[in-house]
Amino acid sequence: MTEEQPRESVIVEKELPLGPVHPALLEPFRVRFFVNDEIVEDCEVILSMPHRGIERILEGLPVERALLITERVCGICSNSHAWNSVRVIEKGLNIEVPPRALFIRVIAQELQRIASHLIFIGHAMEVVGHETFAMRAFLLREEYMDMLYFIGGNRVHPAVPVIGGVRPRCEISDSLKRVILETLERSERKLRNYVGRVVADPLVMGRLTGVGYLSKEDAIRLHAVGPTARASGVEWDWRMEMFEYKPFTYDYVILYEGDNKARVIARALEIFECIKIVRQALKDLPEGPVVNRDWSPQRMKFTDSYNEAPRGELYHSYSLDDYGKLRHYKIRTPTITSIHSVEFAAKGDHVTDAVVTIASCDPCLACCNRVEIIDEKSGRRRQFTSMIEVIKKYGWRR
Amino acid sequence: MGLKATARKNAIHALLVYSGGCNGCDIEVVNAVFSPRYDIEQYRILLTWNPREADVLIVTGAITWAMKEPLQRIYELIPEPKAVLAVGSCAINGCVFRNLVGDIKHNPEVFAPLEKIIPVDIKVPGCPPRPEDIIMAAVKGVPKLMAAP
Repeated sequence: MTEEQPRESVIVEKELPLGPVHPALLEPFRVRFFVNDEIVEDCEVILSMPHRGIERILEGLPVERALLITERVCGICSNSHAWNSVRVIEKGLNIEVPPRALFIRVIAQELQRIASHLIFIGHAMEVVGHETFAMRAFLLREEYMDMLYFIGGNRVHPAVPVIGGVRPRCEISDSLKRVILETLERSERKLRNYVGRVVADPLVMGRLTGVGYLSKEDAIRLHAVGPTARASGVEWDWRMEMFEYKPFTYDYVILYEGDNKARVIARALEIFECIKIVRQALKDLPEGPVVNRDWSPQRMKFTDSYNEAPRGELYHSYSLDDYGKLRHYKIRTPTITSIHSVEFAAKGDHVTDAVVTIASCDPCLACCNRVEIIDEKSGRRRQFTSMIEVIKKYGWRR
Repeated sequence: MGLKATARKNAIHALLVYSGGCNGCDIEVVNAVFSPRYDIEQYRILLTWNPREADVLIVTGAITWAMKEPLQRIYELIPEPKAVLAVGSCAINGCVFRNLVGDIKHNPEVFAPLEKIIPVDIKVPGCPPRPEDIIMAAVKGVPKLMAAP
């Protein structure tokens, strides 16, 4: 007689990889869902596809030319990158900016925020499967792209801020002011109609409600930022701290549901607040010059600056050496921190819902690539955000 | 017009591969060209995500390390005849990521001109190109597909 061996229990983990080129993901990143009977048990987002080494090529450039690259970090929120990179040197060297320039920067930023949120709503509707809503969102977005084109001369990279003000070409004349106000009025009516329909649609809301829950504690622990965090009840917006936004009265959209529906609605409501800001800025636009050329590059200490990009907190910092060249440029984009919170939120849902959850943090991956750590036990990779901790633990990657 | 050309003319499928630029051209292609205002579907060019049914390959972005091999594989998977569009300065000459570098002189992360990796038929310059230009280039690629045996 042979003794019966106790049978080893083997857990077979089934993996469902998506990407880097996949219809559900517009941008090249790779998602690995570890599924058990179509329920996501673990989820992992690999972001290393569009790594262009931006921080490295910025090293040693003259500070005026750096604006060309920092604007091209991201194609959706290009103005916030350009604005934040000039805010660093303005803060570090105490460059005075004319008030008219500050208002024009705010106008460009808010118009781009509306365009970005409309992309998100269109993309979310596309992932959900409602193509009509997606196409309508893209159609509404075109009007805002036109306004950016009138201001800056380029649809995607308007290049509005320069060091000490805005580009003289981006001066808002009286006729352009009238055009923008008329377009806003026409577009706001359409937007209210559109958002009302999206929120009232039972098919779309049935896919979004109660899926991908992220509690407030988890949002703070995983450092969600921007509308992703505000949809979970985190009451924080960098616009509260920025002196550029002090003259305007508007509301912050804070929702407490924390599911996909809240994340879509938070952005939809924020569009109307942006329209409010643009109206006020155009109404109170101060007279005067738009650019202050009275500065010269010189030695600057390490200075940092935060800005509220359409997706959340954006961090830029650098120092200048004696010749006015850039040293130690550091960029942290909002997606890198938000994506881990939705990675967490996607657990426990159906696979089809998990794709919507990943899309619901509005991932913009052109700009976020960081240190990559491979866990030896499970063989899974993680990107980290807090560089100091990682460097202390693992040393430099290159 | 033969049967093949008629069949091809009525459904030209375009596949977009975004290979690591700033996202601007990508958004312009998908959201502007395929959106209601600049409607490329009026020329019967449809967006697809399946390489095996694609006719036109649209490549945007400076080609990064991680995207080089997938791009070559996608190009091989597309059946003949095929046309390749390089959209944006990044795909044509690397834009700022290749030409405006600081101390290191050469950026090793990007393989910028797309021609070095796969043959390119049509180039659309601009950072990012206007949607009208992209539509014009895509329509120009059609006769090449028609003429193929």
